[in-house]
Amino acid sequence: MNANVTVDDAISNVNLLDTLAIPDDLPDIEARALPLLYRSNFDTNFEDRSAFVTGIAKYSEEATRHAQFNDMLSEGLQHAANMYTWRCCSRAVPMAKSNDQPNRTEINEMVVEVLKPEVSKLGSFMRFTLTAIQRFCEEVRRLCHSEKRRDFVSEAYLLTLGRFINMFAVLDELKNMKASIKNDFSTFRRASQFLTAMSDTQAVHDMQNLSMFLATQNKIKDDLKLQMKTIEGYEELLCDVVNICAHMYEHQLYLSPNEKHMFVKVIAFSLFLMDGDAANVAKLDQKKRLSISRLDKIFKTLEVVPLYGDMQIQPFAFVRRSSHYEPSKWPLSDKESDRCHVNIVEKVQSIRSDHESYVTQFAKINNEVAICDRPGNDSENREITSLALSGIQLLCQWSCAVVETISWKLLNPTNPKDNRECPENAEEYERATRYNYSPAEKTALIQIIAMIKGLQSMLGKTESDMSNSTRKCVYVELQAFIHHTINEPLQKAVKHKKDLLASILQSVKDSISDAGNELNRMTDVKGKKKSSAPKGDSANSSSSDIRIPRRTAAPGSTQLYMARTQLESLISDKLCGGKKILRKELDSKTIEKISVFLRKSAHWPALFRLSDSMTEAGELSQLWFREFYLEMTMGQRIQFPIEMSMPWILTDYILSCNEPSLIESALYQLDLYNDAAQYSLFNFNKQFLYDEVEAEVNLCFDQFVYKLSEMVFTHYKQLASCMLLDKRFKAEILRSGTMIRSPSAARFESLLQQRHVQLLGRSVDLNRVVSQRVNMALLKALDAAIWKFESEPLSSIVELDMLIDTNRLCHTLLSDVLHSIAPFDDLFQEANHAVNSPHGRITLHVFWELNYDFVPNFVYNGSTHRFVRARHVFRKTPAREKPPQVGQVYYWGSKSLMAAFMNICNAYSQCIGTQHLKAITRLLHYQGIAVILDELLKMTNRLLNDKIRRHVRNVFNMMPKVCKLPRSDYGSNALLQYYVHHLEAVGKYPELKSEFCQDLRELGNMIVFCQQLEVALGQEEAHDLFLAAAYTGTVPQPPARNAQEQMKQLAKLEDKYSRIHLTEIIDKISPDDGQAAIAKDAELMTKERLCCGLNAFENFLVRIKQMLAADDIWTGGYPTNGVFWIDECVEWYRVYSALQFFLCQPTRDDNEVYAEELFGDSLQWGGLTLITLLGQHRRFEVLDFCYHLHRVNKADGKDEVISGIRLAKMVERIRRFQLLNNQIFIILENQLNENNDDPNERVREFAPPVHPNYANHAARRQ
Amino acid sequence: MHASEAVQQQLKDDWDNREFEQIIADNIKNIANFLSSFELSCRTKLATLSDKLNLLERKVEFLEARVTKGDTLS
Repeated sequence: MNANVTVDDAISNVNLLDTLAIPDDLPDIEARALPLLYRSNFDTNFEDRSAFVTGIAKYSEEATRHAQFNDMLSEGLQHAANMYTWRCCSRAVPMAKSNDQPNRTEINEMVVEVLKPEVSKLGSFMRFTLTAIQRFCEEVRRLCHSEKRRDFVSEAYLLTLGRFINMFAVLDELKNMKASIKNDFSTFRRASQFLTAMSDTQAVHDMQNLSMFLATQNKIKDDLKLQMKTIEGYEELLCDVVNICAHMYEHQLYLSPNEKHMFVKVIAFSLFLMDGDAANVAKLDQKKRLSISRLDKIFKTLEVVPLYGDMQIQPFAFVRRSSHYEPSKWPLSDKESDRCHVNIVEKVQSIRSDHESYVTQFAKINNEVAICDRPGNDSENREITSLALSGIQLLCQWSCAVVETISWKLLNPTNPKDNRECPENAEEYERATRYNYSPAEKTALIQIIAMIKGLQSMLGKTESDMSNSTRKCVYVELQAFIHHTINEPLQKAVKHKKDLLASILQSVKDSISDAGNELNRMTDVKGKKKSSAPKGDSANSSSSDIRIPRRTAAPGSTQLYMARTQLESLISDKLCGGKKILRKELDSKTIEKISVFLRKSAHWPALFRLSDSMTEAGELSQLWFREFYLEMTMGQRIQFPIEMSMPWILTDYILSCNEPSLIESALYQLDLYNDAAQYSLFNFNKQFLYDEVEAEVNLCFDQFVYKLSEMVFTHYKQLASCMLLDKRFKAEILRSGTMIRSPSAARFESLLQQRHVQLLGRSVDLNRVVSQRVNMALLKALDAAIWKFESEPLSSIVELDMLIDTNRLCHTLLSDVLHSIAPFDDLFQEANHAVNSPHGRITLHVFWELNYDFVPNFVYNGSTHRFVRARHVFRKTPAREKPPQVGQVYYWGSKSLMAAFMNICNAYSQCIGTQHLKAITRLLHYQGIAVILDELLKMTNRLLNDKIRRHVRNVFNMMPKVCKLPRSDYGSNALLQYYVHHLEAVGKYPELKSEFCQDLRELGNMIVFCQQLEVALGQEEAHDLFLAAAYTGTVPQPPARNAQEQMKQLAKLEDKYSRIHLTEIIDKISPDDGQAAIAKDAELMTKERLCCGLNAFENFLVRIKQMLAADDIWTGGYPTNGVFWIDECVEWYRVYSALQFFLCQPTRDDNEVYAEELFGDSLQWGGLTLITLLGQHRRFEVLDFCYHLHRVNKADGKDEVISGIRLAKMVERIRRFQLLNNQIFIILENQLNENNDDPNERVREFAPPVHPNYANHAARRQ
Repeated sequence: MHASEAVQQQLKDDWDNREFEQIIADNIKNIANFLSSFELSCRTKLATLSDKLNLLERKVEFLEARVTKGDTLS
């Protein structure tokens, strides 16, 4: 670093910082976020008083006293802080239980050691109080001295006396309130008396004094009153103090709630002090020195004020306590009203309109200054100054409203009678906070706090510009005042030899004028521009004088004090040095001007430390402090739970009240903790309080994030569900009187955009913490959806699909606002347990359902293309998982949405149809489907080679070896008889109509399932391809008159869509050849999905065919005639024919159930697929027993009852079976022969017939 | 009884010094404010970056888990 940087260089370097762009475009909904706070304090506390040699000595002296008093005040405040934050130690220290406990000495020693520093604080508190009372009384005695009684006492000094009075009141109340201090002290005393025999009489004496001091209630007040009474005329002085305070209060000359409340406390306590042996107050009222009615009004407007922290006081109680109190004189204040003097709910309206107009004004002026790139002129500076001042005043007003409401509520806790929500056993603090506010009041408080913090933050951002302008403005006003107001009367006074007046005026001028500067800059060109400045009232016009130089320096605090005090003395009604009232020597105009100046300059010191004033005006730490109530619990509570803590009550209300407009104020409420922490550390100087605030913040912030995340998730879940809810369904149920509301608009966006919430010096990325929780919630929702599916039959896959769609939409909506949510597919895979296992939970459960429920228990209905559960089941399904126990939010978001979706899903719950299969294809993808089909094939294999084969063998054994087709001449009745006779044995096979059918049904189910799955997959793929068409360069043929035109149009369209043709684009822009190759491959894969040959069903059938080919039992081996078996019962279709013969028989009694009722079309599907795959289709059609019977009966039309079978009924049934069979055959034929159109393949050539003698020879050759 | 030249000079010096102090204080304040807003701005940007890194990290973890299917113990 170069050590020789000049100041100018350094400053220009700092100015360069302004040009750096540091974007932080988050919505500003947080209180003033300051990671680094720099404070400069130019208040010297009169340290430089001796430098003002030109001033009148009397005021210089007064400044000395002022400085002393200020020091004492701050010491007093520290004592107050100590007492307020005093926590009982004696409850924590062990006590020697009896006099002969062996370790009692050690115990006592420890007690003394621990408590000694605390007790020494008490000692110094007592000493301080006694000295302060003495010092105060001395001062009063000095001022009330008969010689001086009519002398002028400055306003600032009277106010300092007032502050002193306030301090005494506060200290005394604190001392009265804190029982724990007395307990701790007596513990200490006992312990120390035990240890030493108290040889030191001084120590004993001190101890005794302190004990008395602490034990006597109202000790400070009474002592003060006692001493004051001895001073003659003290009430006159107090009367001045009261008047000045009343004046300040009435004209709102305060800039922080503390000051405002202090005035009232001072008035009340002074009245109490005044009331000595005689009814002084009444007397003074008669003398018109005081106006009781005026004070009465003041007390009425402010019934309750905070005394200290959460301690409240009714100022009027002081007055009431005085011995000469006459209720009749205080008509307004005497009766307590049962309502708070601030109606916060109504007040918020006016506050909001103030806020709006102020913000508008603020923005206007700020923009004006910002757009013209030059230093502001005088009028702008003046405007900004008044803007700053009114900003602080507004802050102060609003904070007062909040603080006073809170105070009143603390003093007037609710009870179970007034608030029904308040339980009977609610504790005191709970009744004062938690149950003490109506929703409207909470809303109002939240809004006001948000406005306070918001305005504070807004002012804070422009604070440096504002204070710059303020200083410029003050400088100009000050210099102008000397030039235009002081000079003239000064010359007159010199001329008329009014020495005293002249000397004071001269002194004022000397102390504030910047004479040298004036000389140097007289010809400053900058000043000339100002001549055109608007001319306002007299005070304003004077300051736009060209002769006044400009400077950005504020007068020093002592300097301003000297000038103001001297000017005040000039226009005062009282004597000022000597025996004259100087006011009479000035003309009225000058007096007017001086008083205007005094009024204006009263706020200047506050404006010079703008940042601090702003902080003080909007300081709401009081909402958190609860030492008083903690003391009241007598050790029952170490700290109150967060439910009773105001900041959390308000924050929680925002999160639970369903009022979207409040949500953006949430962070402002959390800032109350910042206030409390700041106050604990810098005003109370208490680490332990800070730690408690911190602990509460940790807890609350967790809660806050938890609740917020839940709200965000619920909101977006409901939104997604509503968007996906069928519109017609919604309209239908609306017509029948049920309304499903869409979630109301919520303003989470700006809150969620916060990336650096400042909380107790920490910076929290709200978006991230909420993201994390929402991520978990999404995962849980997906898990719940899958779990629910696992606990239900296969038909609920539609619900699962819908749930996952909802979650996907919810995820899409959420990822717009939360930036670190994992991709949906990853979450889904994780919930599906498909990340590091080959099969997901869904696939496994689908297979489970197929295996245990669907295949054995469902029947297919060919006309609806749906599977339904059979009326009688042969296989019992094992128990499924228990459904998950999670909230509605993880399903559809709310109760009503849940009901709506359950209704929709119910429509799908009784069957398995296209929707279900489509859902399966969507959820399982190719991988899952492949797994399922593979498993189904294995099942088929087991079924065929195990069960069905066994049945087939059994049936063959029972069938006649040969069963010829009887001639039609016999007539259909004879035919039936023939078959009945021949197949009698088969009919007695016990498993024929049960197990055998069941097995065939299972086979059929698997085959039809596979066929339907293929259809669904095809539809889904077509849909996919359709959507992808635009990106894969697939352009549909445009309509045109001729081929040429069509070509032209096609080329045009291709050119148009080439811009979104993915592969081409990647080819063009990607520097990586590999990527282009991958893209090409991917496109090929996409396009070729539907290409022929990739048919799962066909392959499924082929695989079954292979299984069948492995065994002769299905075909009966090579036919003996070399062509095919004709009458021999060795092929599969014969078995099926036999089965069909029995199935077609009509029922003999009503209790018998038809097979189609039990097995549906699945049975046929199973049997006929085998026939088709074995190539026995034609033989079946020709040689089937039933078909033959049907053909013959068609011709002869006979009807008879044979062996209990009615022929006509049976034939009718056969006809129906045949129709169904034909349908199934057509489907299967189509599927199998779709891709071998070559007719040659299907023609089998035979050699010419051979004589039977050579048959064996021919067979060998074959 | 005008103030002497010396006193006047002192007064002027006083004003000058105060202005100087004020300017220095203001500039330090500006630096402090700059640092504050710089920090906030950086935090925003870092948060955005961190999101991206987090997502990538998650993705890598996810892919790793997919690749090492079954034999996660190795």
